[in-house]
Amino acid sequence: MSPLAEIRDLVISYRTGSGGLRALDGTDLILTPGETVAVVGESGSGKSTLGMAIGRLLPGEAHCEGGTLSVAGTDVLNADADTLRALRRDKLGFVFQNPMSALDPTMRVGKQVARAMGGKPGQKEIEALLTRAELSEPGRVLRAFPHELSGGMAQRVVIAMAIARQPALLIADEPTASLDASIREKIMATLNRLRDETGATLVVLSHDLRLIARHSDRVAVMYGGRVVEDGAVETVLDAPAHPYTAALLSAAAGSEKPGERLDPIPGMPPSLSGRCEACAFAPRCTFAREQCRTERPEPRVIAKRRVICHFAEDALAAPGAERRA
Amino acid sequence: MRTAIYWLSRIWRSDALSAFGLASLLLLIFLGIFGPLLPLGDPTQIAAGPRLGPPTPQHPFGTDELGRSFLPRVVQGIRATFLLSAIAVLISAMIGTFLGMAAGYFGRAVDIMVARGADILFAFPALLVGLLVAAVLGPGQVSAIAVIAIATLPLLIRVVRSVTLSVAGRGFVTAAEVAGASAGRILLLHILPNVMGAVMVQLTYALSIGMIIESALSFLGLGVQPPDASLGSLLRQGSAYLTIAPWMAMSSGAVLSLAIMSVNLVGDAVRDALEPLKGRDLT
Amino acid sequence: MRLLLYLLPRVAAALITLLGVSVLVFLALRMIPGGYADILLGPFVTPEAREAISQRYGLDQPMIVQYWRWLVSLLQGDFGISMVTQKPVIHEFIRRAPVTLELAFIALGLALAVGLPLGVASGIRRGGRKGLDAARVVGAIGASVPDFVVGSVLIFIFSVWSLWFRVGGYVPFTDDPVGNLQTMLLPGLTLSLFGIALVLRTTRDAVLRVMTEGYITAAVARGETPRAIIRLHILRNAAIPVVTVVTTYFGFLLGGAVVVEVLFSIPGFGLFTFNGLLNRDYAIVQAGVLLAAGVFVAINMTADFLYAVIDPRVGS
Repeated sequence: MSPLAEIRDLVISYRTGSGGLRALDGTDLILTPGETVAVVGESGSGKSTLGMAIGRLLPGEAHCEGGTLSVAGTDVLNADADTLRALRRDKLGFVFQNPMSALDPTMRVGKQVARAMGGKPGQKEIEALLTRAELSEPGRVLRAFPHELSGGMAQRVVIAMAIARQPALLIADEPTASLDASIREKIMATLNRLRDETGATLVVLSHDLRLIARHSDRVAVMYGGRVVEDGAVETVLDAPAHPYTAALLSAAAGSEKPGERLDPIPGMPPSLSGRCEACAFAPRCTFAREQCRTERPEPRVIAKRRVICHFAEDALAAPGAERRA
Repeated sequence: MRTAIYWLSRIWRSDALSAFGLASLLLLIFLGIFGPLLPLGDPTQIAAGPRLGPPTPQHPFGTDELGRSFLPRVVQGIRATFLLSAIAVLISAMIGTFLGMAAGYFGRAVDIMVARGADILFAFPALLVGLLVAAVLGPGQVSAIAVIAIATLPLLIRVVRSVTLSVAGRGFVTAAEVAGASAGRILLLHILPNVMGAVMVQLTYALSIGMIIESALSFLGLGVQPPDASLGSLLRQGSAYLTIAPWMAMSSGAVLSLAIMSVNLVGDAVRDALEPLKGRDLT
Repeated sequence: MRLLLYLLPRVAAALITLLGVSVLVFLALRMIPGGYADILLGPFVTPEAREAISQRYGLDQPMIVQYWRWLVSLLQGDFGISMVTQKPVIHEFIRRAPVTLELAFIALGLALAVGLPLGVASGIRRGGRKGLDAARVVGAIGASVPDFVVGSVLIFIFSVWSLWFRVGGYVPFTDDPVGNLQTMLLPGLTLSLFGIALVLRTTRDAVLRVMTEGYITAAVARGETPRAIIRLHILRNAAIPVVTVVTTYFGFLLGGAVVVEVLFSIPGFGLFTFNGLLNRDYAIVQAGVLLAAGVFVAINMTADFLYAVIDPRVGS
């Protein structure tokens, strides 16, 4: 099947007061139609930058230093404003971490949903869309202002707006992180149901490996601005080939608060000012050897997944690497 | 000292307008402090030149109706305008920081009283307070200082109060409270350092407001009295001869405007650095 | 209901503020050298008149009683008698109200007409990047050049080359509309320069702040056009701080622009109060200060009401 989106060797930096901060350091990701991909990583791994880059939504101080990015045949990095707008409107749907800030506080929900649908939808159509996002009282919700909704309801409104124009690609950045633990599963289930209905590709960015693994076909683990391991969920979780994936799996208890670092992995995620000429994970890696600190690892395909590690074979064979999700 | 140099260089590098503001502020402060030592002429010497003489190389700002050279008078005025405003604003900052911290930290009745008091002071237009104070104390420098302090106090109280409210809820303050630190100790050691940034920014705005009020009062004849001079009182003097000797009003007005603008620009630069607003493109 | 619950405490707070204002003015007036009877009637006063004032305000009673009687007479509209004209000062203020109102509206209108569009344009264009745009320069100049400097320059220009405008010699609008504008536009322009800068800077900051909000990114992500984002999301949300600043500015304008009225000899509240001070006609100063503060508090209550209309979160 031809890919829906192709991201190759993407490099994105933020201009800061002192030099630049490299958020993506050669990211590769290919999305095929209809799949659900979980992009997993700590805060600072570059996953949010990646998600925003797909819609070219990064703020002004971010700039692309290399690589290519195309979605549904559009060269996103070089598209003009109208093409970009058409792409966002017709092909992409975004669900953000904090639904309350994604909704305009001064505008009634119904009007905001109507804007997302385009044209002049009648009340029936708006209610039907809200019902699809499993909002139980759509008539009441569309007359409400955002602050009158609960977080979960607001996120369902944001989801309804994201699917309003049947997007080909739905990107959800930590869609459940700001919500009550009790409704996270339900929101994920809604997202997957809507993906099935619309045939869209769903990309979920999250730090919560266990939660999203249950709802995904594929997992892409990000570290230091690169996708370090990418494969089918069962393949990767059953036997991680990257030491970082393995560490994430043993750390993930599913109870972290949003944005919290996964503490059981000692050390800090890297903050790069330029191209990393070593393995970015080496300082925290229990398997690290001399080569890891001097040579940048390149992607390889091992045991049915793509991995960026000099010693992936050793990690696969290591005792304790095999565990169930 | 290190922080001062850090801030100066940061403002200097931020952009052309801020750098211009910083440069002219430093120049004016230098003139205000060292002006009397510079070979600019004696501001009090009568008949140093012709009466109401136009600008010449010897008297760059012309001469006044008594033949005094106007440039040294303006330099004298810079000193008075900055000094009076700075004194008033410092008084206001001390009272305002104390009241604002007390209101934000103790809450309840203290907060209601302080906040209401700030509202009451804020309701008086500064120049009408000026008229009232002039009626009570008579015109002069003390009146001007009192008016500036009254006018800027509510601004400082409000800012300090809101910062204190946000700081008081943080972990380290709660920790200190649990450890049994006294209220005075917490306010002094934990809250005051965190309030200082906001106070500094507000101080620059208060200073520019103070300079506007001082010069307006002096312009109306309610502030600095002759033979002393402030930029406002010089403009008052000049405006009497506006059509026949415009250089007096124009030079003192231009220097006054430059002084206020340089304070404002530096204040803007400090605020932008402390609280950068990063918006986004709409495309 | 939401509005009522939100506004009631604000009305109460405004009344308390007014009460505080009256206490401060009362105390200040008692601190003026000379007795209150002298203040109200001047030095050339007959013993009978002095006795009448003493009776009326209870000057032989304790301060609290004096304050109460003074407050009651204020509430009855008695702000004292002008020493110079021997008429109730409140009538003099009412007579001058149209002048100050007209000046305030001219200044406010100019400030909004210039400041709002420039502020929105500057805020959107900057989009987070720092640059030297014309709006910043205009804002810095307008906020810094005092009104009497602007006024002096204008007077100089227009008295040397007597263009269409006239300096001084106020004519009521009803007598001669053109002549009225000839004399009022220059002082209005002078007053508005600060307002332009204030509105511009506030609008620009408000727009910049709104541009950092998630719902703007969300709207861009939906493929909305910049025009629609500005119209639907930015303007309304940025309006909230602008309303605060504009009403405060208007409140000060209505209290009487002392300097500009003095400079241009415009017979409004400011000039009247200032002349009252020069003539030691303190009843006028008392009334001028009380009225200015009262108008200011009332205007701010209007602002509270406007918030509730603009922002649905207010009061809930």
